[in-house]
Amino acid sequence: MLRSGGLSPTDPLSARRRGSARLAAALAGGLILLALLGRSSDPASKAVSSDGPLSLGAALALTGNANLYGQDQRMGIGLARQWFEAKPHPRRVDFQLEDGASDEPSAIAAFNLLIRRGVVALIGPTLSQQAFAADPIAQRQGVPVVAPSNTASGIPQIGSFISRVSAQSSVIAPLSLDEALRREPGTQRVAVFFAQDDAYSTAETSIFQKALAARGLKPVSVQRTQLADNDFQNPITAALQQRPQLIVISAQAVDGGNLIRQLRELGYRGQIVVGNGLNTPNIYPICQRWCDGVLIAQAYSPERNTPINRTFRRLFAEANQGRIPGQIAAQAWSAYQVVFEAIQRLQARGGFEGVSLGEARQRLMAELLAGEYDTPLGPIHFRPDGEVVQGRFYVAEVRMDDTGRSGRFTLVREQELQEAQP
Amino acid sequence: MIDNGLLVQMILGALLGLSVYLPMAAGQLSLATPAFYAVGGTLAALLATQGGPQAGISLGAVLGEMLLAAALTAALAVLVGLPVLRLRGIYLAIATIALVEIVRVAILNLPFTGGATGIFGIPQPFRHPFGYVWLSGGLLALCGWLFQRLEASRLGRSMAAVRDDELASRCMGINTTRVKLSAFVASAMLAGVTGVIAAHYLNTWNARQGSFDVAITTLAFVILGGSRSWLGPVVSGLLLTALPELLRPVGDLRLVLFGLVILLGPVLFPQGLITPALLERIGRWKP
Repeated sequence: MLRSGGLSPTDPLSARRRGSARLAAALAGGLILLALLGRSSDPASKAVSSDGPLSLGAALALTGNANLYGQDQRMGIGLARQWFEAKPHPRRVDFQLEDGASDEPSAIAAFNLLIRRGVVALIGPTLSQQAFAADPIAQRQGVPVVAPSNTASGIPQIGSFISRVSAQSSVIAPLSLDEALRREPGTQRVAVFFAQDDAYSTAETSIFQKALAARGLKPVSVQRTQLADNDFQNPITAALQQRPQLIVISAQAVDGGNLIRQLRELGYRGQIVVGNGLNTPNIYPICQRWCDGVLIAQAYSPERNTPINRTFRRLFAEANQGRIPGQIAAQAWSAYQVVFEAIQRLQARGGFEGVSLGEARQRLMAELLAGEYDTPLGPIHFRPDGEVVQGRFYVAEVRMDDTGRSGRFTLVREQELQEAQP
Repeated sequence: MIDNGLLVQMILGALLGLSVYLPMAAGQLSLATPAFYAVGGTLAALLATQGGPQAGISLGAVLGEMLLAAALTAALAVLVGLPVLRLRGIYLAIATIALVEIVRVAILNLPFTGGATGIFGIPQPFRHPFGYVWLSGGLLALCGWLFQRLEASRLGRSMAAVRDDELASRCMGINTTRVKLSAFVASAMLAGVTGVIAAHYLNTWNARQGSFDVAITTLAFVILGGSRSWLGPVVSGLLLTALPELLRPVGDLRLVLFGLVILLGPVLFPQGLITPALLERIGRWKP
């Protein structure tokens, strides 16, 4: 320790050190004050007003690398609000949307903010990785969460208040493989590509590979890519040396679209099966005419001919210059729909009469899990642990139009699945 | 309104800012902080989830994890630091970025770190974020006290000498390698311990937590706050972590405004927010 021997108390060094200590003390005081002020009073003990609107919160990725999904979700929920608000309903529902960005701390902050504002339930977050961070917070405070797009295994198991309308990839992925093998029964050589730094794609590829093994097919080549890659020449060359007859891709829209395009440009002519990350119309401008013929299994088909889906398609087209909706938007609509309908059923039974917000949240969760819902995805209900049970899945093939700029997912097969296994 | 949850994130930001500041105080532009942060977080996630799912964890166990993380990151920093600290300036920055990438890819591919999904269901030592405020705030207070002492100590003065002129300080008999390595190791330990708190606070840990983006963010704390006093990265870490949340009322423009702050900050405050001249003025101020 330096003693200030020989230095007068007014010399620059000791003045600087004194200033530093003073500023540090002020900062510490400020932080302690913030900590005490920020001990948020949990609104759970407050009574629910008997006729005021209930508020419903959503934290979606409107910024960051998952914002393509978040914007689709915002659109889906917005359309659902517009549709359900216009119908007569016993209880008004306010909606609060916050940006959950694409990282864990932002999702946590958005959930905290909405819970403090006294929402009765939450929709979100966009990514499974964010859900593992933010859902435990909602669980601890007893706030129902409906995930619109989390497909990783283990999400509903986070707790009793966590549910999802997005079916796990383990249910969906194998269907497209079956379609490819039905078209070319002689397929023996399969190559697998996946984005190894993406939680969704790594989970999905292990399901694809299990499904392949169950059908007696061992991949001749497994190539790992990264989400930020845009040149796939090396992995493609390595895979094509093995002369694959079928290629299975788990990636997201941008990298996956580029990968398909480069596969075709480098001379691959066989079948391509892709996972859910490419299940969005956003791939058309990326892989253009090379997308043609790609097979994909979906939890949603825009071609499903039911009143609710026709309504959804019509509203979506009106809002988006005639575009056809994708799965992400349909699942977001469904997430809003299940919460909204559960609130109305509970209100009709007088379930919100004279209860605290915390009690209302608990009742709403029970009501949510007990109901049956006719959504654009088809009829769905929930298992007691919050896992969605969806009876119907689809296999689609991408058909590009003559310009090669736009296309559609044409339905090639519908599949009834009995009670989905976790 | 800043709630306890956000306050914890702010304090963690300030701690990471300090971790970047330490090597800089000895004139080394090292961006290795996220690598050690990821090591600490992964260690905590692995140790805490050894029990059954959602088992509880005591505060003592978390403090134990912090000690282990400090020891592990210190050992790693000595191993890496000895060869890497021979580099200077931009070359050192590139080498440390490589270290961040190596750790990230290792966490992605190791069989026991959960791949890209990471490790989830990390047990909580506290029922309420307020506990995390005390834990991280206590660590920040301890660091503040140490840094305040350091500036007046022999090691602190040696670091300042190396920062100002490495050659001259060597001529004066300062063991520059040891000084630089000490700063690097201390920085790594601080990042590792911060990672332990962050892993518990976030409930989940994956390779994305210690990425190159974090290196840039934490570097911004030091640039905007000023690299001449330990208070710079602390003040700026607190502010920049809170800012995106405080800007929520403006809606979609929030990140645009945040970007403007990052852009205009160094233009308006080229020396950073907390300069020696400012500290001197505060020190001479008499009520």
